[in-house]
Amino acid sequence: MFGENVFNNKLLALSTVFVLAGCQQPIDEVSVRSENIGFAQDEPITVNIQPSAPKENPINGIKRTGIQPSSLKIPAIDVEAQVQHLGVTESGEMAVPNNIEDVSWFSPGYKPGQNGRAVIAGHVDGVDGPAIFWNLSKLELGDELLVENKDRTLIFKVHTMESVPLDLADVSDVFSYTSSPELVLITCSGTYNFDQGTREERLIVYASLVEK
Amino acid sequence: MKKILVSFSVAMVLVFSLLAAGVMAADDTAKVRVVHASPDAPAVDVYVNGDLTLEEVPFKADSGYLEVPAGTHDVEVFASGTEYAAGEGVLQADLTVEAGKAYTVAAANLLESIEFVVAEDSMEVTEGKTKVRVGHLSPDAPAVDVGVIGGDALFSGAEFSGITDYAELDAGTYDLEIRLPDGTQVLPLEGTELAANTVYSVFAVNTVDSLEVIALVDYEAASSPDGMPTTGLGTPDQSQSMWLLIGGALVLIGASTLVWRKRFQQ
Repeated sequence: MFGENVFNNKLLALSTVFVLAGCQQPIDEVSVRSENIGFAQDEPITVNIQPSAPKENPINGIKRTGIQPSSLKIPAIDVEAQVQHLGVTESGEMAVPNNIEDVSWFSPGYKPGQNGRAVIAGHVDGVDGPAIFWNLSKLELGDELLVENKDRTLIFKVHTMESVPLDLADVSDVFSYTSSPELVLITCSGTYNFDQGTREERLIVYASLVEK
Repeated sequence: MKKILVSFSVAMVLVFSLLAAGVMAADDTAKVRVVHASPDAPAVDVYVNGDLTLEEVPFKADSGYLEVPAGTHDVEVFASGTEYAAGEGVLQADLTVEAGKAYTVAAANLLESIEFVVAEDSMEVTEGKTKVRVGHLSPDAPAVDVGVIGGDALFSGAEFSGITDYAELDAGTYDLEIRLPDGTQVLPLEGTELAANTVYSVFAVNTVDSLEVIALVDYEAASSPDGMPTTGLGTPDQSQSMWLLIGGALVLIGASTLVWRKRFQQ
């Protein structure tokens, strides 16, 4: 999504700035925070599974229905965001909002609450500083993620967080089918790669639906 | 209608150690789902390579898909609560799973001759279609057909302990039945809704005098993008604007405005 010309311009401008600024290397906060990220639930978890209850036709009603999300709330890091419904960019990447306050749900994928991994992405920073997912790396095991629309609120609990180099990220797995509802949050992490025009890693948070 | 909530204690250590490594490539793992289909067996604990993986799985329950490393695993089943001792389970098998594939492992037949029935599950369906297969896991039931009431059989001559191939159908509502080959109805399944982009397994379980079916969703299709999102608009240096301002405020602001505008125009 970054044109090469933009980059050349920018590099040029930055070089000038560095010269003027005496080549001082600034600290990259996102990069610092990306170090030593990651946890996974290492104790047995309990999931409730409902075997086909006797009903008129046991084949009907076994699919879980999801929701079209309108907002995402993460109390632990004080996030409340509107959820845009987006697909892919021209180059086939998952699309993201063009502002730093909203997040985007990958709407051609699974719905939150349906079986499978529903994916929501948000920016970590904007040109002038922190964006909506700036503090995503501070999430801890068990933190709650609330996905809502006007009819339903779904609660997911964080079970895994990792920061994965882009070239090792298994996209089809991150967006894959699971036989229970999961929510995946993605933002950028790692050091900024000026050639690629993006950070070198992605912070990925996995959460599972809390069944009522 | 009584809802039976079953508590599974799933040891996900195996799974999450893979996640923690940061490489959770689907080409390293397989999906495995366990189904308890032995009508007179007690609830069971399932050990994989000696580790307690599923606890207190009752008849007719299933585990959902667990991610396991590709390769051969020692899978052993014990009556729930029995202390583990290698080779002493009611059922043991070395199960080989291939990366990227999905499997159903059913504990079937009566307890005295309990056995594993293993089938590979489909993780794909033609867009807009539905896919379904049936498994005959009722130890004393005769061979049956499954078909449309008053119409053609979708599956013919299913015998214990076979699991049929999938049939791909138009999504919709079907009046189905399980019947003997001579047409005698064994179990009606009227108004069966088979949804688009969904793969089902329907297993006939329990003894013939109380035959019933359990239905599982094997897969639901959805799109995935080709690449991860680009989720940062900033570049590292610009968060240090205080310092930069001292040296090159004008240049920086000019550049930022240019970049900002260009990005948003794209």
